[in-house]
Amino acid sequence: MQLSRRRFLKGVGMYGAMARVGLPPLVAMFNSNGTAYAAAAGKGPAAASPIETRFLLWFNGNGIPERYWIPTETGPDYELTPCLAPLKSVREHVHVISGVDNAGARINGQGNGHFTALCGLMTGCFYTGRGAAGPSIDQLLAAKIGAKSRFRSLQIGVAQESHGENVHRNMSWAGYDRALPPEMIPQNLFDRLFGVKNQSWVGRKKSVLDLVKDDVADLQPALGSADKQRLDEHLTSVRDLERAIASLPPDYGKKIKEPEDITDLTDYPKIAKIQSDLVVHAFASGQTRVATYMLTKCQSLTRFPWLGLAGNRHHDYSHSNAGSPSSQRIMRDICRWHTEEFAYLLERMRAVPEGAGTLLDNTIAMSSHEHAEANSHKCRGMAILLAGGGGKMKTGAHTKSHNTIGDIYKTITEEIFKVDVNFPTAEEKMSEVV
Amino acid sequence: MNSLLSRAPFALVPIMLIAPAAWAQSGAPDSAYFAAKVYPILEAAQCRACHTHDGVASGTRLHFPEKDSGQNAIQIFGLSLAPLVDRSDAAKSALLNKPTMRIPHTGGERIKPGSDEDKILTEWVKYLASATEESLTTARRRLGDTTTGPKPTQLVRRLTHSQYDNTVRDLLGDFSRPARKFPSEDFVDGFKNQLRMQGMPPLLVENYSATAEKLAQNAFRNGDVNGLIPCKPVSATDIKCRDQFVRTFGMRAFRRPLRDSEFRRYSAAFTAQARATGKFNEGARAVVEAMLQSPKFLFHVEAGPDGRYSDYEIASRLSYLLWDTMPDKALFDAASSGELRTPEQREKLARSMLDNPRAHEALDEFFNEWLRLDKLPNAIKERRRFPEFTPELAASMVEETRKLLQHLVWNNKNFMEALTADYGFLTSDLAALYKVPAPTGQFEMTMFPESSRRAGLLGQGSFLTATSGPAETSATFRGLFVREQLLCQHVPPPPAGVNTTLPDPTESKPRTRTQLLQAHVENPSCASCHRLMDPIGFGLEGFDAIGRYREKESIFISAATDNARAQPKRIDLPLDAKGEIAGIPNSAFTDAKQLGRILAESPVCQECVARQMFRYGYGRLETAADQETVHQLFVRFRDSGFRFQELLIALVRSPEFLRGLDPKDRVTQTIRNDVNSKQPGGR
Repeated sequence: MQLSRRRFLKGVGMYGAMARVGLPPLVAMFNSNGTAYAAAAGKGPAAASPIETRFLLWFNGNGIPERYWIPTETGPDYELTPCLAPLKSVREHVHVISGVDNAGARINGQGNGHFTALCGLMTGCFYTGRGAAGPSIDQLLAAKIGAKSRFRSLQIGVAQESHGENVHRNMSWAGYDRALPPEMIPQNLFDRLFGVKNQSWVGRKKSVLDLVKDDVADLQPALGSADKQRLDEHLTSVRDLERAIASLPPDYGKKIKEPEDITDLTDYPKIAKIQSDLVVHAFASGQTRVATYMLTKCQSLTRFPWLGLAGNRHHDYSHSNAGSPSSQRIMRDICRWHTEEFAYLLERMRAVPEGAGTLLDNTIAMSSHEHAEANSHKCRGMAILLAGGGGKMKTGAHTKSHNTIGDIYKTITEEIFKVDVNFPTAEEKMSEVV
Repeated sequence: MNSLLSRAPFALVPIMLIAPAAWAQSGAPDSAYFAAKVYPILEAAQCRACHTHDGVASGTRLHFPEKDSGQNAIQIFGLSLAPLVDRSDAAKSALLNKPTMRIPHTGGERIKPGSDEDKILTEWVKYLASATEESLTTARRRLGDTTTGPKPTQLVRRLTHSQYDNTVRDLLGDFSRPARKFPSEDFVDGFKNQLRMQGMPPLLVENYSATAEKLAQNAFRNGDVNGLIPCKPVSATDIKCRDQFVRTFGMRAFRRPLRDSEFRRYSAAFTAQARATGKFNEGARAVVEAMLQSPKFLFHVEAGPDGRYSDYEIASRLSYLLWDTMPDKALFDAASSGELRTPEQREKLARSMLDNPRAHEALDEFFNEWLRLDKLPNAIKERRRFPEFTPELAASMVEETRKLLQHLVWNNKNFMEALTADYGFLTSDLAALYKVPAPTGQFEMTMFPESSRRAGLLGQGSFLTATSGPAETSATFRGLFVREQLLCQHVPPPPAGVNTTLPDPTESKPRTRTQLLQAHVENPSCASCHRLMDPIGFGLEGFDAIGRYREKESIFISAATDNARAQPKRIDLPLDAKGEIAGIPNSAFTDAKQLGRILAESPVCQECVARQMFRYGYGRLETAADQETVHQLFVRFRDSGFRFQELLIALVRSPEFLRGLDPKDRVTQTIRNDVNSKQPGGR
């Protein structure tokens, strides 16, 4: 067994060109049947199960410049627009769907057009004044398909800059006002997934967590119900942690070398690629089936020095003189970068062989912005990318639709994952999607 | 239908057409009549949008009850409107004439004069004018009017990240501030420490766990360098030394003595680990690691399951409020001898705690969050127009604000001077920006000349910059800041789906920002809220986007060419800064100095300081039921001549400080998902 992943991550650490030199063969992570790593770990019933489909939801803050983003033609022969140009190498795996309605953003509630858009998009619920009023699609799905994985779901983030409110900073929601924060520091994410552990560590950790659970149980009867809920949340999280420890693959930690420490936490193109590599590994090694990826925050204030944009922050660009040709070009470049990072993830997934196909074939990856046209906070006519699915899903075309975001979720969850999640704004399944 | 918040569901409440039985029988309205007929009219007129205890009309005498209040609460509310009625001449009642705009009403005409709604309201006003006060009081009591509503049932707070860092510093001697790498704390209800959002998501719990592991490992890496073990163990399984360690460390980690069951469990775990590794310190390490991720460490539950140690919880509350860290030995001693139970005892101890430099640091965090000073480091300004705006200048703006507030608090000055100070703590760069003589040293107190238009916070770069865009000022954001941060009034957000973009000025039609914002006034759906904000900002237009004083506004018209490098054309327009605060009489002003004086003298603003401290200090938004508590804090603050230290003392003396320690507080009703709750900030 070659130390393939070590080499791979080292390459990532060196950034740029190296990271793109193609993925080393990860065949080593799979058993002779081609089923996944976790299966090889031989934990319970998963050992015999075939490769399972994963779900990844990707979010980019603020809206798009529609004229540079949405293709004019529909069907398979559409011309890639400037914002979609980075999809060139993976276009046959991507379905561009425009015209989608974020109906949840119009439900009565508090908050500005960014908050309502994020909550509508992720949860189909309104903004409560503090957060989303219900669970997000990834959590609805994770509740159905995540139970056997080491992590029920992962929340991953990249760019940090925001106005700082709860709703700005989180795309995943466990329930009413319960944000699930993303891990934005690659080193921390690596430690969660691949940090070196040994048997004595496992033993101590287990006994430590037993003490913690005893303390939780001690307090439970003494508290009022609102506080008890918080303690329940603590207990649930402790149990999640126990499961993550208990389901460590036996040869865990032996093959992966950690990425270098990131000193510049604003080098987002670099961080995005490392985070993408780690998601790919998490999926490939069967550690989770559901992930969200928040490239930039809601109402994002990201700066883009690598695009030559030394002036404003993203949200400022989206509203200052937004109709002018120069502002539209700036928004074009920003959104093209979003697509570039998403395309990078798709390429990495495609480079991982899995069974008869690739990891990308066994993943449904969806990318969306916060709005359609950025300046007007437009929520009808959203444009999204739906990728992967290896033939289970229609790809390689542009479709104009009038369905809701919920309809897309409904179609994917019911047709591909075979579960019913009852997303609030879903009405009908879409034959254009599968 | 009026336009303010027309998306709100209560706009659809139909007017009841059937007179309630009570009225039909007696021929005169009663409180059931109010609930059935009058209240729906007031809701449909959306009086609530402003008239709540934290609404824009918080300074008036009309505050609506919680939105989905029960029938009794609504009837009590109807009876409580009597002070708005003129007993000598019902037709002159504010309750009748304000919503119909027969007399000036900041919220405009909500009910059409002469309409059916007007007539129904008139009936109620007549009833209140004719009923005796005694009969109204009796009626309110009969309906169960004891308090103004329930208090939130959630009581237990979690360590904030800075409390976590400070606590492990004092507990373990670890200065690494590990919580900086935790998932960040986000603003909710205006602050980052609000208990209702202190969740325990898996990622945070993993962070607690991994950090506890690291801290415990570091604590014993080179032996017991910080003296956590109070004895010399003779063997790995030295029971006597083990017991001493578990008791002393447990006492400090849980901030109260260990209970027997806890002591037994932790001792057993100690021995198991020490035996397995053959090392005494490994046992200690496991105990430290476990305690640092126990809810008894992470949450403020020092009183313990049976409330036996409530004295210790009081000690912790004092310590975390005033020092942002765990109690020291003196506080633990005071707790163990029961010396913190009376307000006088707490006051005495709190006064000595305020002399400790930790108190200064702790209060700085309140100022950072209240005034959103976090916005400055990330603020960005167009380089061509504001070459002097550098990260260093932004940092000195923040420091200037802190220095002024620290000066007022710790020298026991009138805190309202924060809005009127005719001096600043300046660097030479700030002095140049403000065009005042350079100070003798960095952040030295510098007097402003008599002619200066600047005074206090509102004339400072931190406020003027953070509320502006990269190039332009924003009268709206400046007004919103005054409403939410300084008046504690929540302004409703723009309706969903509204295009909030203003037209760009053109060369043929050059417009100042003030003129552009007239669009808000012309569009009735914008006007109802924007007239509460924009006019405040209009009076500050004499200060540009980085806080320089200006007589003219320079606007830049982008060239109508595709060439991105083309220089925009500059046009200078005369400025006429004139502002007012809707709802505060005689509040016209033309600069920061005048606005500061108006606010400093406004009881709404003075009380707001106490409100903000309530929110931060107690970790939650106040409810209608907290108004008395807030008022008491305010009274003590005011009567002290607005000495901020006295406000802190009032906070620790208040009965609210002890809430949750009485088992009666721990009600078991299910938390209501408070859909209609308000949120300050959030734009």
